[in-house]
Amino acid sequence: MDPKLGLLQTFYAGLPKDRVKLETNEHGFEFLAMLLAEGAVLDYGHLGVHRLLHKYKLSDVPRRAFDRWLARHVAKACNICLYFHAQANDVFCFNLDNNHKENNTVLLPETAVAAATLQDVLSALGCPLLTVASGRGYHLWGRLAAPVANDRIHDLMLRAAARALAALHRDGLDPQKLKFNFYPHPRSVDVVSLRLFGSTHAKTHHFSQILTPAGLLDEPASWKAFEDHLLHRTIPLRTFESALAALS
Amino acid sequence: MTADPKTIAVDIDDTLNNFTEVLRELPVPDDDPHGLSPEVLRDYVEKIRAGVPDSGALLSTDYSFLRFRMHHRVYERAAARPEAVAFMQWLRAEGWRIVICTQRDLRRSFGGTKAWLAANGIPFDHLFSAANKIVFCRAWGIARLIDDDPFTIAHGAGYGVQVYFPVLPKHRGVLATGARGFTAFEQLKPWIQS
Repeated sequence: MDPKLGLLQTFYAGLPKDRVKLETNEHGFEFLAMLLAEGAVLDYGHLGVHRLLHKYKLSDVPRRAFDRWLARHVAKACNICLYFHAQANDVFCFNLDNNHKENNTVLLPETAVAAATLQDVLSALGCPLLTVASGRGYHLWGRLAAPVANDRIHDLMLRAAARALAALHRDGLDPQKLKFNFYPHPRSVDVVSLRLFGSTHAKTHHFSQILTPAGLLDEPASWKAFEDHLLHRTIPLRTFESALAALS
Repeated sequence: MTADPKTIAVDIDDTLNNFTEVLRELPVPDDDPHGLSPEVLRDYVEKIRAGVPDSGALLSTDYSFLRFRMHHRVYERAAARPEAVAFMQWLRAEGWRIVICTQRDLRRSFGGTKAWLAANGIPFDHLFSAANKIVFCRAWGIARLIDDDPFTIAHGAGYGVQVYFPVLPKHRGVLATGARGFTAFEQLKPWIQS
């Protein structure tokens, strides 16, 4: 087995695998029949404005089908996006997006400041984040030693995000240019999904590089940083609780 | 892709239901979470009722959020046209593959849309959202599309998609080259079989 597959399976072990959003250029009724052949159900499909990129929201996905698509994700043949559990999760993610209609793959100063602030604030409290280039900004993932109730995760994220907004105001930047989304969000766990690390962005075709203080890492170094985060930067529950208390 | 002669794509809003009629009568929301002033809220509501797009440079704004919330309420309240329901049931009985093709954001409206279709007895095989339904139909080999969107009416035939549209006041002035307008769904039966 490709070791990258094992890393993804371990990092995202706590997320549900029976619901998936699949991003691919493949389409047509024959492809759809193949996609659903093992029992998955198509909730809906979506064709956006970017070439023929299709998104398929699938439920009742058999585990063997999921594993096969995850292998295709590693091979860059498709992107896998996962949803969160409704009650508690062991990963969380800030999604910072450029909020412009045009040229929204440009990295804004607002995004850079917000990402750095979130990383600084939470790292200082023992909760390091893995910052992944997402195409329109960054995904900042935190990994917990065990599932935590969504409302407590959301509480921590909201308070950390308030620090990031304060930093934007301090630097004279415009928060409206930036879109903050929190995963899991208590109101939208079954609504929005996030692309897993190891993906290629549909518009930019850029690999989901990892950002460090030294800059964006190339693909092999990003996989190494992903592994390093998985092995050494999982947040103990006691640390999560003390971070939440410190921010409250 | 070769077109499948017995597959049809069908829009929902203002095709199977009375979306615009309900939107125009929708009350001003009294639970605005963004704290808009009453004047701004009324102004936004009037623009949303009139279908005015968000002209600014940003994607997510107070206006776009309010429009989403209002549209969501309309999705729930809009009434299915009885003759449209009967037509969709006829399609099913005749063995057509039915693809519901909408511009709704199904990430947030899938549950409500599916429930509305079921509650109104509207059969379908697949549910898709597409920013450009002509591109979608071409990519999937769907030769026939029922849709009220002036863009698809004007351009569908040019790209090999036969568009049928319910004739509405908003279609005045639309150049329906090759598209066929109907005033009753019953008219479609012979047209789509020819």
